[in-house]
Amino acid sequence: MSDKKLKLPEVGQWPDKLVAPALIAGAVLSTVGFLMAFFYVAPVGGATVNGAELIGDVMVSQKMLLSQKIFYFHMPVAITSFIALGFGCYYAVRFLMTKNQRFDTCSRICLEIALLFVALTMITGEMWTRFEWGVWWSWEPRLTTYLILMLIVIAYFVLRSSVDEPERRGTFAAVVTIIATIDVPICFMITRLIPSSIHPVVLREGGMSPEMGLCVGLCALGMLCVGFVLYRARFNQVRLTQRVEALKETLDDERA
Amino acid sequence: MQRADVGCSDRASSTANETVQWTVSQSEDCLSESEYRAADRGEVRSSLCKAPSTWTQCKTLLGKDLKAEFRTKDMIVSMGIYAFLVIVVFGVALSFARPGSEFLEVSGGLLWALVVFTSLLGLNRSFAKETENGCLEGLLLAPLDRGVIFLAKATANLVFLLVVEVVAVPLYWVFFSSFAAPADTGWLLVVPLLLGSVGIAGIGTMLSTITAATRGKDVMLALLFVPVVFPLLYACVSATTCALVGGDVFADGFATSLALAGGYDVIMILASWVLYDFVVN
Repeated sequence: MSDKKLKLPEVGQWPDKLVAPALIAGAVLSTVGFLMAFFYVAPVGGATVNGAELIGDVMVSQKMLLSQKIFYFHMPVAITSFIALGFGCYYAVRFLMTKNQRFDTCSRICLEIALLFVALTMITGEMWTRFEWGVWWSWEPRLTTYLILMLIVIAYFVLRSSVDEPERRGTFAAVVTIIATIDVPICFMITRLIPSSIHPVVLREGGMSPEMGLCVGLCALGMLCVGFVLYRARFNQVRLTQRVEALKETLDDERA
Repeated sequence: MQRADVGCSDRASSTANETVQWTVSQSEDCLSESEYRAADRGEVRSSLCKAPSTWTQCKTLLGKDLKAEFRTKDMIVSMGIYAFLVIVVFGVALSFARPGSEFLEVSGGLLWALVVFTSLLGLNRSFAKETENGCLEGLLLAPLDRGVIFLAKATANLVFLLVVEVVAVPLYWVFFSSFAAPADTGWLLVVPLLLGSVGIAGIGTMLSTITAATRGKDVMLALLFVPVVFPLLYACVSATTCALVGGDVFADGFATSLALAGGYDVIMILASWVLYDFVVN
C-alpha cells in the first residue's frame, strides 16, 4: 500500500474492455469447434477393436469414434486449467513480494477457475478412459499427475477456509500454490520415468491430422476466452463486494 | 561454547522456551563481557562479540528439540506404538493372503504406507510443543535466520522418524517374513528409506508449520502432505520394491528411482527453505 507506483488489478481496467469480445469469441469458437468435431473432422480409428466384435463391425467402430470426440473438449479444457494455474502462481509470487491483498484475491480467483476446469477435465477424462480403455481408472502417468493436481487444488481451498487472518491466509495459500506448481511437473516426470510393471502405459502416440489440429486449436482458443471471461466476471464481483463492504464500514464509522 | 553446554545442562527441566531466552541473553552477556574486557584484551573482544555461527545456532536448536523429546519421549513412543498398530492392521488385511513371492511386489508399498502414516502422526505433533509454551514467539524474537529454524526442526523430525524406523522396519520384517523371503539385495532398502525420510522430514516440516496455525490441524496436514509427497513416495516404493524383488528388476529400476527420489529431496528442501521465511512469520 505504501508503494504508490504499484499497479493493482482493479475493476474497469483495460482487461474489462476485452470481456465482451472475448465472450462472443469464446461462445462462437467453442460452438464452431464443437460442431466441427462432429461434422467436419474425419472420424478417427480409435484403439484396437477388442472384445466388442460380437456386436458387429459397424457398432464397434461407431462407439470408438464417438468416444474419441471427447478429445476436442477434453484437451482444451485441460490446457485452460494449466494456464489458470500458471496465472495463479504468478499472482501468488506477486503476493509474497508485495503482501498486497489484491494479489491474493487474484490468485484465489485464478485457482477457482482452475478448479472448475480441472473438474471438467477429470469428468471428460473419465468418460474417455471408460470408453477408450474399458476401465474407469488407470494409474497412467498423466492421469495420476492430474489427480494429484486436483487434490492439491482442493486442499488449497480447504486450507483457505481454515485460516481466518487475511494476511496469514494469503501467505499460506501463496506458498501452497508455489509448492503445487513445483510438485506437479516432478510428479509427471517421475511417473513417466519409472514404468510400473503392473499397469502398462496406455498412451497412443500419434500425430494429429491438420483438420484435427485446427479443430482442437479453435476449441482451445474458445475455452481460453471462456476462462478469461469467467475470471474477469468473478474478479469484478469479488472486488465490487469488497468495495461495498469497505464503504459500509466507512459509513458506519461516520455515523458512530 | 563451553558456557552454552553448562547453561543447558544446569537447567534440567528447561524446555525449549528457556533455551531461547538463553540464546537471547547470551548475546547480551557477550556485549557486556566484551565491554568489560575491552580495556585490556583488544583482540579477544572481536571473537567474544561475534554472534554465534549458523552452525552453532542450528546445533543449539536441534539440541533443544532432541533434549525435550528424549526427556518426555512422548512423540517417539506414540509414533512407535502407532507404527506397531499399523502393522497389526496390515496383518488383518493380509490374513487371507497366500504366502508367495508375489507378496514381495506389495510389501515395499505396504512398508511405505507404514512410514507415511507414522510420519504424519509425528509431524502433526512436532509444532504442538512450540505453540503450546509460546516457544515459537521466542524463536522468532531471537536474532536468527528463519532458514536455521527450518533446518533444525527438519533435522529433529528426521531423527525422530529414523529412530522409529529403526524399530518399525525390523518389526515389519519379523511379522511378514513368513510370506516371502526378500532377495539378497533386500538390505539395500535402507537407501530409499533414508532418502524418503529426508524428503518427508523436509517438506513435512514446512507443511506442518503451515497447518499448525490453522483450524483442524491434523486433517489439514494429511490433505496437503499426501499429494505433495506423492512423487517421492512413488520413487521410494519403486526403489524398495526393486531392492526386495532383486534380479533383473533391481538392475532396471533401482538407480533411476533413487536418482529421482534424491532430485525431489533437493528441489523440495530448497523450495521449503526459501519459502519458510514467509510461512513462519
